Order: sequence, then structure tokens, then C-alpha cells
Amino acid sequence: MKEHAKGVILVILLGLFASVGVLISGTQVAYAHEISIALTLVAVALGYRIYLHGIRSLRHGNVTAQLFATIAIFISVIAGLVLPSASATGTAEAVGYLTAAAIVAFIILAGMTLEGYIIHRTRGALEKLINMSPTTARIRRDGAEVEIPIDEVKIGEIVLVKPGDKIPVDGTVISGHSTVNQATITGESIPAEKTVGDRTFAGTFNERGALEIKVEKTAEDTTLAHLIQLVEEAQEKKAPIQNIADRFTTYFLPIMAVLASSVFAVSYFALGFDVALARTVTVLLVACPCALSIAVPVAVAATIGNASMNGIIIKGGTHIEKLKDVKLVAFDKTGTLTVGEPKVVEIKTFGNYSEADTIKYAAIAEKFSEHPLSKAIIAKATEMSMKIPDPTDFKTIPGHGVDAHYGNKHILIGTKMMETEISEEANQLMNRVESEGKTAIPVALDKTVIGVVVVADTVRENSLEAILRLKRLGIKTAMITGDNMRTAKSIAEQLGIDEFHAELLPEQKVSVIGELKKGNVVAMVGDGVNDAPALANSDVGFAMGAAGSDVAVETADVALLGDDLTKIEYAISLSRKAFNRMKGNIVYAFIWNIVALSLAAFGILNPVLAVVLAEAGCISVVINSALLLLSKPKPLAKIKG
Amino acid sequence: MNIEKVVLNASKTDCTACSTCADFKADNLRHALSRLGGVSKVKVDEITGKITIEYNTQKIILSKITERIEKLGYQVEILSREEMR
Repeated sequence: MKEHAKGVILVILLGLFASVGVLISGTQVAYAHEISIALTLVAVALGYRIYLHGIRSLRHGNVTAQLFATIAIFISVIAGLVLPSASATGTAEAVGYLTAAAIVAFIILAGMTLEGYIIHRTRGALEKLINMSPTTARIRRDGAEVEIPIDEVKIGEIVLVKPGDKIPVDGTVISGHSTVNQATITGESIPAEKTVGDRTFAGTFNERGALEIKVEKTAEDTTLAHLIQLVEEAQEKKAPIQNIADRFTTYFLPIMAVLASSVFAVSYFALGFDVALARTVTVLLVACPCALSIAVPVAVAATIGNASMNGIIIKGGTHIEKLKDVKLVAFDKTGTLTVGEPKVVEIKTFGNYSEADTIKYAAIAEKFSEHPLSKAIIAKATEMSMKIPDPTDFKTIPGHGVDAHYGNKHILIGTKMMETEISEEANQLMNRVESEGKTAIPVALDKTVIGVVVVADTVRENSLEAILRLKRLGIKTAMITGDNMRTAKSIAEQLGIDEFHAELLPEQKVSVIGELKKGNVVAMVGDGVNDAPALANSDVGFAMGAAGSDVAVETADVALLGDDLTKIEYAISLSRKAFNRMKGNIVYAFIWNIVALSLAAFGILNPVLAVVLAEAGCISVVINSALLLLSKPKPLAKIKG
Repeated sequence: MNIEKVVLNASKTDCTACSTCADFKADNLRHALSRLGGVSKVKVDEITGKITIEYNTQKIILSKITERIEKLGYQVEILSREEMR
């Protein structure tokens, strides 16, 4: 902010000196012209930032509007001081030249300052993230509660967070229960339940209950701190389209040199020295190579900033360009399209037994088993608010099931060990369920099947919408999974996925991606850990649920911080929009330059008008790029390809 | 307190040196560096590209600072280092 204030003060001072200079020259004050000349010279001098930039660009072998402006202003000042001195009306004419130089300097400096400010605002998204970083934490030390700066909080200390407070650290809840709004990190606005054992992120918002959190990361190592660094780095990485703009700007200097000298030569012979000088100065002032070179970086920064506000980290301009071309999105299944944890989805009972009986006996037998299917059954029992007694004894038979006793009852769970005793009805049910890619677990009590528990991995809530959104954009979808054919087929059909490849080993996933890439730009979506090789081999690798997993963020080109797959469509739509904006800006800036240069060469513009035109061109490009920051995800109904 | 003042030169090959770009970069650098723990003062001259940083040597080492600048895509050259107090 300080920098901008300094810039604004310079602009105001320059304007003041210039206008007082002009006003005085028109009065009858003694030495009016001389005072006026002195004041306007000070005004011109106050535009020193323009000249420093101009001269610096020369040293770097680059061409900038500041360089041309410096030359033009320098010519005007020399003309004002040297040329008219010979003639009788000298001083009045000198005032004329110098005033023009001062006004030109004023407009350019004002333009530079405004552009600087807009660009600063482009970082608004990052600024927001930074402002989310907590500065202090309330901790318990030696039995007392103290508030200390966040830098001094050590790993292993206990932080206390009241309802309505920001969570200051990455850590684990050790006591309390609350809901936490994690939108800053994951982009998901629905608050997450947090209780003992859950992880918290610095910068998220504690809503209802008090929490005690054990610190796991120092302040500069939190997920939020890493995110901010990633966004900063991403915003600096240029997009390939920038090269086109850069190529234009390298040709600019020779073209301008030829143009300026021919305009001078032609008008000198045709119209005399004064006109020639004015036209040459105008040509130099109207050129605006900056509009070409600034269009892309500002758009990249705005796009990455926008995405980060939506829980998407795009790791550089290159990925924006790849994203816009994506024709096929391949998804990993388990843990990506599905939740990744099996759940009880159906309970079928036989005889006089109820669903509760079936689950109860199954849960008793499975109580001490670590198998994922057992966990699903226990979770279901807990959900039905059952108290599960311990089995009297139990024996797990790997790959077959469980053989347990509860009091005088004998419980058998699992397929293979009961093959001989299964009823026709139960058998049919189990065949149907298995053909749907689900797992059927028969439960027998004293050698009679009392029910079948159906367990399956469930599709994520927003997977269907995510696929639908991509289809609306005209993008094909594929699923690649290590799971069996039946399960894969069933999930693919449920979600309307165009093609699926099942029973793949991790290295086979890589070769499937290679096949898909023939003729398509392919994005791959996974958890970023197990499928890192496939992500790396795709054109754009999306890692989801990346918050808190540095590995995932590291491997991915685009990291989805939360689990919301609909963000994939947004990342692609935003990139398409951003790229069109960049391309549009380059074309616009190019045409603007040609038109403005032609007008100047034929003497239709005067120097002041020229500089206004040049600044307007540059500022409109900057604003147009910066506006990408305001883009928002569209509702499903409004998405068109 | 052990405060050291260091002057660095940060350059980028793709720098087009126009004022808007330069402002843009200076802004980014300023922000990134001032948030490093132990860094007390950051000055970025957008015209010369020189960065002046004051930092507490007990809290952060110079290589951490230069590493951060390099991560942002710059080549770093140390121009001078002096102990303040």
C-alpha cells in the first residue's frame, strides 16, 4: 500500500507543478515565462520513474512504452530549451513544448500508477489467503492459558480454540466436538464435523464447540502456508502463449526505429521541421508494446488466484493452456469417484429375523476384526445405535469369514464356509448382488442363514454431477481401476461414464493413459498418492483431497484441495475463458498498436492525444485480464460446451 | 538481536522490463519475502531489481531467503551483506 501511496503523491505533485506552470505563463507576473519554464521542468523531472524504467529497458535489450516516452519527452524538452531561443517569441514557444512534455509525463505516470494498483489487486485472492493466516494462538502452558504469537507455538503443544474463533494450527483434536468451516483450505462451504482424532488446518473457522488441538506443524509449515507459497510460485510461471507476445515485443524496437525515422524524414521534406518533430514524437508516444507483454501474466495471476479461492491450485500458466484443450478426463475409481470405504448398502433377512438381528449377530462376530468389511458392519451397528457385546470366542479364517460363539449361539459369517447350507433364495440374491459388483456377506445362526448383508463402496455424492458437467462441455470420461470388471462396470453405468478399464495394475494404468492420449488431451484424476505415475503420464494430473497431503500437491499439476469433483469442470471452464481472454488481449493490443501508429504517422493525433490513447490501450488490457479474478462457477443448468 | 542486512540482485530471463511487469514482480517478491519468519524489512526496487532485506540471523538463515526467491523463478546474486547490530 505504501508503494501505491508514494506513486499517487508523485502523480499529484507532477500534475500540480505542470498546471501551476501553465497558469503562470498566461499571467502578467514578472518573468512569467521563466517561472513557468522552471515549474514545468520540475514537473517533467518528477516523472523520473518513467525515464528510469525506459533506460533500464534499454540496458536489458527490451522495448517498452517507457523507453519511447523517455525519448519523446527528452526530444520535447530539448526542443523547448534549444530551438526557440534564437527567435523573438522564444519563451512562449518554449513553454508550449515543455508543457506538452509535462502533460505527457503526467498521463504516463498516472497510467503506470493505476496499472500498478490494478495488478496489485489481482493478487486479491492471495491476499485473502494471507489474511486467513492466524497471528496468535491461545495455548496452555504450565497450567495457565496464554495468548502467544503464532511463530512461538511449538509442535506438541496444546492450543485452545473457542467457538467462533479461527483455528490457528495444523494439528489433531484431542478434546471437544465442533463443526469447522474449511472453505479456506478445501473450498467446500459445508462445515466439517470435528471430534477427537480429526485433523484441523490453520486458517479454518471453528463454529460451534470449543476444541483442544495438539499442534503438529509449525506456523511456516502449515497447509495454508504451503498453499500461499504454491500460489505465489504458480503466478510467476508463464504460459506458453506469452512467447508469442514476447516475440512481437522483440520486433518492436527495429520496427519503431524504422517507422519513426521515416515519418520524420517524409514529413520534414513535405511539411517542415516543426511538423516532422511533432509527428515523430507522437509516433513514439502512441506505441504501447506493454499491452502485449502484460496481457498474459496478469491473466495467469488472476486465473490462478480465482482458482485458489475455489479450492483449486493450478500450478502455473502452462497448465491453464493444457486444461483448456482437455478432451477426455480419466478417473481413478476407489477413493476418487467412490468414497473408498465399503458401507452396508442393503440387508436381506430370512425367516423371522429382523435386520437388527442380522446386523447384531454379524457385529458380535466381527467385533475384533480389522477387515474393511467388518468395519462396515460395525459402523452400521453403531449407526443403528446398538451396543455390541463381545463374542465368547471367535476365529477369523482369512479369505473365508468368521466363526464365532456368543453364549450358546454359533455365528458363522462369510461365503465359502457355508456353501453347503445356503438356501436357494439366498443364493439367488447373492448372485444378483455380486453381478452388481457388490459384496454379499451371509450371516448364519446355528447353521441357519438368517440374513445377507450387502456391502459396497459408495459413489461420492457429487460424482454424478461432476461427470454430467464434463459431458456438457463435450468432454469424454473414462474410469481406470484396479478393481474387478463387475464392480467397475456397475459404477461406470451408475455414473454414465463413457468407457472403463478394469483389473489394472498401477503400471498398466500408465499404459492405458498412454493409449487414451492418442488423439486426445487427457486429464487424469486420482488421489495423487497411489496413482502418482498415471497422473504424471497424463497431460494434466488432478490430485483430489490434497489438503494436508504434501505428496499429492507435489505430484499434481492441479490440486483439488477438497473432495468436490465438480471443480474439475470449473478448472477447465475457467482455463478456457482465461486462454480466450489472453488470446483476445494479444490480438486487441496488436491491432490497437497498428491503428494508433497509423493515425500518429499521418498526423491525425497530437502528442497528448497519442499518450492518452496508448495508456487507455494498456489499461484496458490490464483490467480485462484482471477481471478473470471475478469469474464464478456456473450452476449445472447453465453449462454449455 | 542479530540483525543482518543483505542486498540481493534478482533477475529473470523473461523479464520484459516494462513498468507494469516490473511492478507486478516487485509486488510478488515483496509479499513472499516479508512473510518469511525472521525477516523484518523488505525493500524491492522495481526499477533496478535490487532487493534489500533485513533479517534476524537467529531465526532464519540467508540460504532460506535466497531459496524462496529462486523458487519464484529468479536467479539470485548476493551483492552485499552487513551486520547491523
